[in-house]
Amino acid sequence: MNTKAFYRVAYSREFIVFISLIILGAVLTSFSPQFLSLENISNLLLQISGITIVAVGMTMVIITGGFDVSVGSTLGLVAVIIGKAALAGVHPGFIPVIALASGSCLGAINGNLIAFGRIPPIIATLGTMNILRASIFQMLGGRWISKVPAGIRWFGISRFLGIPVPMWFAIIIALIFAYFLSRRPSGRYVYALGGNPEAANLAGINLRRVQITVYSITGALAGLAALIYVGRTGIVQTNTGVGFELDVIAAVVLGGTSTLGGKGSIVGSVAGALLVGVIKNGLILLNVPALWEGMIIGGLILMAVTVDTVRQRGIAA
Amino acid sequence: MSFTPGVIPGEPSSVTDRPGRSGHGGAFPNARSMFVTLGLAIVRERPWFLFVSLLILIFVLAISVNGFFTIYNMLNMSKYSVEIGLLALAETLVITSGGGGIDLSVGSMLSLVCVIIGHLAIKLGINIWAAAFAGIIAGFLLGCINGILISTVRIPPFIVTLGTMYAYRSLALVITGGIPISGFPPSYYALGQGSIMGIPFQVLIIFIPVIIILNYTLTRTLFGRYLYGVGSNELAAKFAAINIKKVRVWVYILSGLLAGIAAVVMTSRVATAKPDAGFGYELQAITIAVLGGTSVAGGRGTIAGTVLAALTLTVLYNGLDLAGIHPIWQVGTLGLVLIISVLLNNWLLRSKE
Repeated sequence: MNTKAFYRVAYSREFIVFISLIILGAVLTSFSPQFLSLENISNLLLQISGITIVAVGMTMVIITGGFDVSVGSTLGLVAVIIGKAALAGVHPGFIPVIALASGSCLGAINGNLIAFGRIPPIIATLGTMNILRASIFQMLGGRWISKVPAGIRWFGISRFLGIPVPMWFAIIIALIFAYFLSRRPSGRYVYALGGNPEAANLAGINLRRVQITVYSITGALAGLAALIYVGRTGIVQTNTGVGFELDVIAAVVLGGTSTLGGKGSIVGSVAGALLVGVIKNGLILLNVPALWEGMIIGGLILMAVTVDTVRQRGIAA
Repeated sequence: MSFTPGVIPGEPSSVTDRPGRSGHGGAFPNARSMFVTLGLAIVRERPWFLFVSLLILIFVLAISVNGFFTIYNMLNMSKYSVEIGLLALAETLVITSGGGGIDLSVGSMLSLVCVIIGHLAIKLGINIWAAAFAGIIAGFLLGCINGILISTVRIPPFIVTLGTMYAYRSLALVITGGIPISGFPPSYYALGQGSIMGIPFQVLIIFIPVIIILNYTLTRTLFGRYLYGVGSNELAAKFAAINIKKVRVWVYILSGLLAGIAAVVMTSRVATAKPDAGFGYELQAITIAVLGGTSVAGGRGTIAGTVLAALTLTVLYNGLDLAGIHPIWQVGTLGLVLIISVLLNNWLLRSKE
């Protein structure tokens, strides 16, 4: 009985990811002692808080059997909106509301296109991704917003009980949704929709509502990530959030969420986000040219999915 | 539907639909319903719809944009439709094969093959035509990787091609260090810059033959029938003893091959191998295929529709360019066209049933 439980833990995805994190960390430390410095670690955690937050939403989307490549553009557009709002003199207390509301509206557009328009998720979000990019350009007019008021910078650079605010956000969001997904009925609907849509429909679950909800939540979380981004960097550029979707998808897929739907966990995605963060950090510490990044992250995604699919088929056979 | 009873909208002229039931009712009861039927036929028969909208678009641009409706511009424009047209044809095959088929990596394959050709020909000094041939083989192999991961390992197409999209793009950057390669021998330009009686070479000796071959393959060969079979009903295809895996692997290989050919045309036309040459082309290719009537559910799609859609978008781009509109709007428009045409396709399919 005990050995069985041991094997279950040892073969679980979260465990494998944590082990590879430790190995990767050890290797990086041996090459570059700076890796374990407090400054580097806290920097790393700060950088991945945005990825973690959006990865939580993306996990739910992928569990339902969907996909969202528009999160990077959503982040960019929300960053522009809150940047403009802040410059127009909106009270900093309202800014988070604006960020969450605009993010969830953009997410709801995706959700509606997919649920009611019956457009495959990859195509719908590919379309909105490009429309949002064009809107960002239109709103910024080729310039960038700087001199963001200090009130907003609070969300990115200040600390609460010694821990940076973005990390608080990431931890709280991950805990809330981990509880929601594993313990609440509506959380189980998410799995039901991905595992077997027909059975879920027969069980009386409103599939469209679940779909629209997960995309809206993902949009809202991208809005929150935008708030952190603007707070941390203090500027909004035309290319804000370009390529962000790749990091998020890599985190979720490395964390063991099945792209076939129905399987995945928030804990896995958080571990995946850590792994992505460590890899990106390691590339910088080892002086690998940035050109390699797409190759490495893309390759990792393919590797993780291949291993998953082969293992899943092994179990099924 | 609220149209005149007695005429089933869109039914008479339909070629693809249930031949046993066509010719329902025979003659048109009155002039109005004839008009309605004609209108619906144009909306439903995608090639006609595109042809009519292409003519309207050309007319509108001709009277509103200066310098658009000249022979030079019209012929020159056809050059630009070749590369994107080839990628859109690739996307048509992939999407038609069904099972969520999509190839997000076509643009990256184009970039990577461009870079490979440049690297072989200029950095390693290999004969340019041998390098071009090697580039096409490279496209074949890149497509092979996609095909095997999708069909043999059975990973969803969007995630495989998303991964390879980033991997191939990054590999192209790594090979060149991010710097375009130039200095192709002038004899190579003939393909992409020459013309016969004003008709660009690449249209004449690459685009048109490819269109004819693919159209023949899709409509007259076993592979084509298998492709539609696999795309429209996987289970039935399986029971008919069609090797689904093999069909799907070949579709992705063809996609890589077409991207390789497009890369040869492109390097010859712009005389440089840019590592970001195909950036954003996947969106264009998918949009063109879908606008051309390819159903994202698989099993439906025609070469004629895709070619006409490619011409339509090229004309639109050219018009927007000449009118001085910023290129970012082309990308935005593309996203919008993509979503609207999928919605339109879905709605038409459902109303047919």
